[in-house]
Amino acid sequence: MANFLIEDVTKSFTSGEVEEQILKGVNLSLKEGEITALVGPSGSGKSTILTIAAGLQRASDGKILFETKDMTKMSQEEIRQVRAKEFGFVFQSSHLVPFLTVEEQLLVMLDVSKTKLGKQEQVKEVEKILKLVEMNHRKDAYPASLSGGERQRVAIARAIIHQPKILFADEPTASLDTKRSKDVMELLRELTKTLNLTTLMVTHDEEMLPYADRIITMRDGYIVE
Amino acid sequence: MKIAWKEMKKNKAKFLILGSIIFLVSFLTFIISGLANGLSQDNAALIKDMPTGQFYLNEDAKQTYNLSKIDIDLQEQIMEENPGAAAFSVQMGFVNDADDKQHSVAFVTSTESDVFETVQEGEIILDSSLKDEGIAVGDVLSNNQFSGEFIVKGFVDKKKYSHAPVAYINMTNYQEMYRVMEMQTIFIPAKDAPMFIGLESFSNKSFLNAIPSYSAEQMSLNMIIWFLVVISGMLFAIFFYMMNVQKIGLYGILKAIGMKTIALFRMIWVQMMVITIVALALSVGLSQLFNVLAPAGMPFHLTLDTVMMLSAVFLIVGFIGATISGFQIKKIEPLQAIQQGEM
Repeated sequence: MANFLIEDVTKSFTSGEVEEQILKGVNLSLKEGEITALVGPSGSGKSTILTIAAGLQRASDGKILFETKDMTKMSQEEIRQVRAKEFGFVFQSSHLVPFLTVEEQLLVMLDVSKTKLGKQEQVKEVEKILKLVEMNHRKDAYPASLSGGERQRVAIARAIIHQPKILFADEPTASLDTKRSKDVMELLRELTKTLNLTTLMVTHDEEMLPYADRIITMRDGYIVE
Repeated sequence: MKIAWKEMKKNKAKFLILGSIIFLVSFLTFIISGLANGLSQDNAALIKDMPTGQFYLNEDAKQTYNLSKIDIDLQEQIMEENPGAAAFSVQMGFVNDADDKQHSVAFVTSTESDVFETVQEGEIILDSSLKDEGIAVGDVLSNNQFSGEFIVKGFVDKKKYSHAPVAYINMTNYQEMYRVMEMQTIFIPAKDAPMFIGLESFSNKSFLNAIPSYSAEQMSLNMIIWFLVVISGMLFAIFFYMMNVQKIGLYGILKAIGMKTIALFRMIWVQMMVITIVALALSVGLSQLFNVLAPAGMPFHLTLDTVMMLSAVFLIVGFIGATISGFQIKKIEPLQAIQQGEM
């Protein structure tokens, strides 16, 4: 069932006197328990549509319907609440908070999402998720001491700890070697299925496409197939 | 709060360096203020330390203390009507010790009053700074305008006028030395003292301006202090602004995961407060220690009130700088913040 719809979304940027249209009317629906992969050449607008869908920037026009609510009509605070409770993000370069340990990264996310869990339960939940991404043994480590693959695993753990409905992943394997990329993709696939997540992923790596349920190709701001 | 503290704990060296800059800037401001206030005090401690009241000068003196002469009959009438009133005069001069060495002083004489030292004829009471010049109680001092000699009866602390130590002498001796019967000023220790025909009244503060060169010197000293305070304040504000703007990528990540803007503001404020309070506490402590340990001859005067006022100014401007950066962070979209942080 589609619980996330993108309808006629456009995005323009103005640089000096020149207006550049990055998205020229994108339509997309995402389904629960599926990984949708957005592919396309550099500059096609795939990362832009992902960040707009994730509420990290505003669309110029169009609608983004999350569970029937139009996100383009929401205030900044309403979008923040959706991001904190319903969305999870995995960025290209993990973007962990450098001064927090692996365990603290996840506890902060639970704190931000205003989970109803008590302190003890939060610690147990963190342990459970870290086991799921096989990072429990590094829970006291800081991001600087983790490998690229480990950092992405922690970023994935942070993205799912608060049980979001939608998971956005922007080139999650871009900074990893082939083996680690496959490990991360297997983990994303497994989590999408077991937690019934709706996952939207941007990638330029064709080797990662077999892990996706649907592949959408973008070019010049349009979806072409 | 927790996240702000964790960042400081993890990046101790970075925050220590930031804190030490705040400490050095505030310490510099306190020390320069202390020296400037010390000079000001050195110029007019005699007047500044007097109780709140009204000073009267002759109207013809054109608000210049040296030119004032109070009519004797009027003086007597005022003294009769206002118990506690005192007439006094100050003149620059010098005394010679037994070795004929000259010491600059400001001779002060007055009618009998609690505000001024009571001195008998032929006696002199000096500011304690003259002890360092080798003068002791019982020494005999002379002056070429005075037919007799002065016996040192004692010393008083921190009584300076026009950068010279004060020398209290008896009115009769003063009248002989300066060949003048009238006093220059009348002081009534009351907030709302009456007006008198032919006399102009001054509050404690405005009377200081009647001292020759005081206001000009004070203006320079105040300019030094306020320039320093303004520049230090601006440094504080810019400093906290830059500190937060440099971390915009981090704030972008925290915004992206849904952290409330108020939580980011709290993080900014907590860090600013911790750094500033610790740095200011150190500066206040050290500057007060310097106040005690400063060499006796160095005019240094830094009251706790001044230090607290300057600290409050620094805290407020630091808060403003940090808050402006907070608004910048509030305004920016998370993605833009992350991208800026990557640059």
